[in-house]
Amino acid sequence: MPVYTVSNVQNIRVCVVMVGLPARGKSFISQKIVRYLSWLSIQAKCFNVGNYRRQHAGGEQPNADFFDFENKEAYKIRQHAVTMAVADMMRWFNDKGGVVAILDATNSTSERREWILKLCRENAIEPMFLESWCDDQDLILRNISEVKTTSPDYQGIDPEVATKDFLERISKYESVYEPLNEEGDKDKTFVRLINVAQQVVINKIETYLESRIVFYVMNLHIRPRSIWLSRHGESIYNVEKKIGGDSHLSVRGLEYARKLPELVKRSAGDVDLTVWTSTLVRTGETAQHLPYKQLQWKALDELDAGVCDGMTYEEIEEVYPEDFKARDDNKYEYRYRGGESYRDVVIRLEPIIMELERQENILIITHQAVLRCIYAYFMNVPQEESPWMSIPLHTLIKLEPRAYGTNVTRIKANIPAVSTYKEKGTSQVGESDLKLTDSGNSRSVLTTAPELPDR
Amino acid sequence: MSAILSDDDELFNGLGSEEVITKPVPGNHMARTRKRWSSGSADKRPKIVNKLIDGVHTDVATDYISPGQLYSTESGRLFHAGKILIVLVGLPATSKTLLSVAITRYTRWLGVRTRSFHVSEYRREKARTEKGGVPNDYYSAKPGSQEGGNYRREILRKMTKDMTEFFDEKRGQLAVYDALNILKEDRSSIEKVFGKMNIKVLFIESVVTDPLLQKRNVDLALKSADYKGWALQDAEQDYMSRLKANKHLYEEMSPEENLSYVKYINFGEKLTVNNNNYGYLINKIVFFLMNLRDKRGRVYFARCGTSVKDKYIDDEELNEEGLNYSKVLTDLVLDLVNKRRLDANDGTSAVPRTPSAASLKERSKSPLIATSASLKRTESTGNALYRQPASGDGVDDDSFVVWTAPRKRTYDTAKYFAELGISVRQRNQLQQLHPGVVADMSDHEVKEKFTSEYQEYLRDPYHFRFSRAESYHDLAVRMEPLLLEMERMCGDILIIGHESTLRVLYGYLMAFSCSEIPRLTFTRDELIEISFGPFENKVNRIPIVMD
Repeated sequence: MPVYTVSNVQNIRVCVVMVGLPARGKSFISQKIVRYLSWLSIQAKCFNVGNYRRQHAGGEQPNADFFDFENKEAYKIRQHAVTMAVADMMRWFNDKGGVVAILDATNSTSERREWILKLCRENAIEPMFLESWCDDQDLILRNISEVKTTSPDYQGIDPEVATKDFLERISKYESVYEPLNEEGDKDKTFVRLINVAQQVVINKIETYLESRIVFYVMNLHIRPRSIWLSRHGESIYNVEKKIGGDSHLSVRGLEYARKLPELVKRSAGDVDLTVWTSTLVRTGETAQHLPYKQLQWKALDELDAGVCDGMTYEEIEEVYPEDFKARDDNKYEYRYRGGESYRDVVIRLEPIIMELERQENILIITHQAVLRCIYAYFMNVPQEESPWMSIPLHTLIKLEPRAYGTNVTRIKANIPAVSTYKEKGTSQVGESDLKLTDSGNSRSVLTTAPELPDR
Repeated sequence: MSAILSDDDELFNGLGSEEVITKPVPGNHMARTRKRWSSGSADKRPKIVNKLIDGVHTDVATDYISPGQLYSTESGRLFHAGKILIVLVGLPATSKTLLSVAITRYTRWLGVRTRSFHVSEYRREKARTEKGGVPNDYYSAKPGSQEGGNYRREILRKMTKDMTEFFDEKRGQLAVYDALNILKEDRSSIEKVFGKMNIKVLFIESVVTDPLLQKRNVDLALKSADYKGWALQDAEQDYMSRLKANKHLYEEMSPEENLSYVKYINFGEKLTVNNNNYGYLINKIVFFLMNLRDKRGRVYFARCGTSVKDKYIDDEELNEEGLNYSKVLTDLVLDLVNKRRLDANDGTSAVPRTPSAASLKERSKSPLIATSASLKRTESTGNALYRQPASGDGVDDDSFVVWTAPRKRTYDTAKYFAELGISVRQRNQLQQLHPGVVADMSDHEVKEKFTSEYQEYLRDPYHFRFSRAESYHDLAVRMEPLLLEMERMCGDILIIGHESTLRVLYGYLMAFSCSEIPRLTFTRDELIEISFGPFENKVNRIPIVMD
């Protein structure tokens, strides 16, 4: 039975129209919204006008002159790119049952915004303007250095040249930029983020879905940071092949706990971070030697296996054969008798995700199922796949959220541990040889999250 | 503990290594004992469930578990949010009391121990128990006389004491302080006093610039406890003098004050959030404020009609009796809605009593009497200048929407509404509590077949789940979006649902505890009408009389 975390009456379709100068974190916010809504099973897609310019309109790696509003030739190309992006967006709404589209572009003039507004309304789509406004120079410079290293526009270009060119590009936009006007635009639905949520202005939010997006965006920041994820060290139940429980660590698990500070230090350097654990003994024991502030979260507790808590997969298959099969058939929705499903975990993780977005450097020590859900959120892993991801014990995962994706590094502790991975259709744990070499499913070292395919 | 290893084992694991567990210990010897709940819902039997009283003002017990709570903690505080004091700021007639009550209701539902402290209650209590009455200039934020000043200070002292006690001794997490606080000095002293106690202070300033809204707020204030038994004119005069005494003193909040605050303009039309670094809980409250509306309509609850077998698994259509019930229900609800519209038109409403040609046309299409809002809606349809009506149910004061579950019986019960052109929405969240293995069993059968589970269920009917089933708590969590949408709806909503879903919705609107919710009853011979007041919600039970 499907359960919805966010409701959507069929007739609501929203186009989030980004507004703001370059290097204000617009793409980052757009990507985040798409990821969040997809995680909640809402059809969402981002239409990045820059991509259309590069791929279809013949504007690859242009220099700042290209963005001069007096440059008629270039302006035509840019105009063409917007038109294509918007046409694609409309097609997506109508043919693919889209619910929330993000139009990621500067949309810097009021004329352009009126044009989009009219187009949306004519197609029964409600536009919501989302402006990122920033005059904090530090923040802008940090963003620029991020963009020049990750934007396709500056691939292979000397960083210094790129920075100079990018600053020039921004100044071209500044000459025509008209920020949203709280008086003049008071009848529109809009949100202004001023210096990244230092101040937030929220105007005329009229549907629940819109309020949900605003709520999420309010929790975002664009300061660079990293998130480290780790399962607890090998537990006694892991060794005994039992699921759930509240057992202590095995000797090897304790060794991992002793080694963890060094692993973290190697990856994080001197930055300060906060450790979050669940309330179960094994995560606390894993965190015991870490020299950082620690917080316990009930919401990080492992998926509750209900009556199967403390059983091995073999026992479950024997005692509850139907359940065992039902779970393999739809692992995301399957709810253990008296326990939880993956979807239940996603719902209760909401405060964690929101708080995680607000914080800076965090190390989370939690459990397999919970970690899969959190990982799926950051890496845009589709629902059908996420419960089957392999997240081995004694491995520290580092996530670095970036404007165009999330970087992942996996650091192995080289302390042996049992495998708790169970493939579909078997009650045996352990990864087959095939699985170990197939990095496609585990998205190992330094991959970037792909765009979510249309579903 | 350690075992002698074979040579091969020792070589493989390292010389001198020990194996921790020689033999796996059978059974669940290290079971997970801490559940997501630290206490159940049934350890305390509710006293008498008086279904007509809004529970939002009753104190929460120290071991309180709320209906919508996702987990519980030892400290009783959630989200690592610490202790927070919300201070309302604004002139009289800016919905401060409504806001504080609404925030209390919602955060309590989330599991936060919240209490609102209303200055008006303290003043009334003081006036009731002390001789001398309230000094004339008490109602000014800056009374001219010493007497008036003292009176204010005494009340403030008592309230500060109570709020401190709430945080320190009653495990309180969120206090809402409902008073004028329109002076900078008042605000900065509150910030200092509570800041010292390590309590975060967030100001919510309500500003009303819309004259219609202002008038409505004054009208509501005149119905408050302060003016019980007053002649309308006298009450109005008195209230206006309170307003006047403060208007020129009012110092609107600005970033220069260096406080964390939310400016809430014209009841949520616009919100600005400043220096909010308080975390999830406060953002969640802002989220709630985005959805809160000045609700002029009512929420109606009705059961669905009957079917032949009345079984969960069948998803049957209505039988004759059920269809008949649907007709009677349709007429009854439409009559109630129309009657209120007529009454409103009698009063000072902007709608002329003699309908214009356009409204007559509107009327011929719809079984509902047209209002100014419905006329405006007709105007905006197809006009790119306005948001389109379809873009949000319940945006207008006079909207009327029927929500049903996605099951045949429930949406068939709404079919006569649909035939009349009224919006009927199937809401997935209204899917009834999934009964799991005990579907369609009588209590007796359940007791026979699932003896031990049944005992557990009786101990905690709110949180207990039968195999495959949902608990009331599961239901409450999955229905949360619907609660906020319900808060959003300005107009009327009729919710036709299964008893289990009605219990949860009703439990939220009337602030019931989780021990009470599973015991609420809704029958087919009563329509429940809930109306919204700034201080509390009211219930009216209207008989459904079958021919």
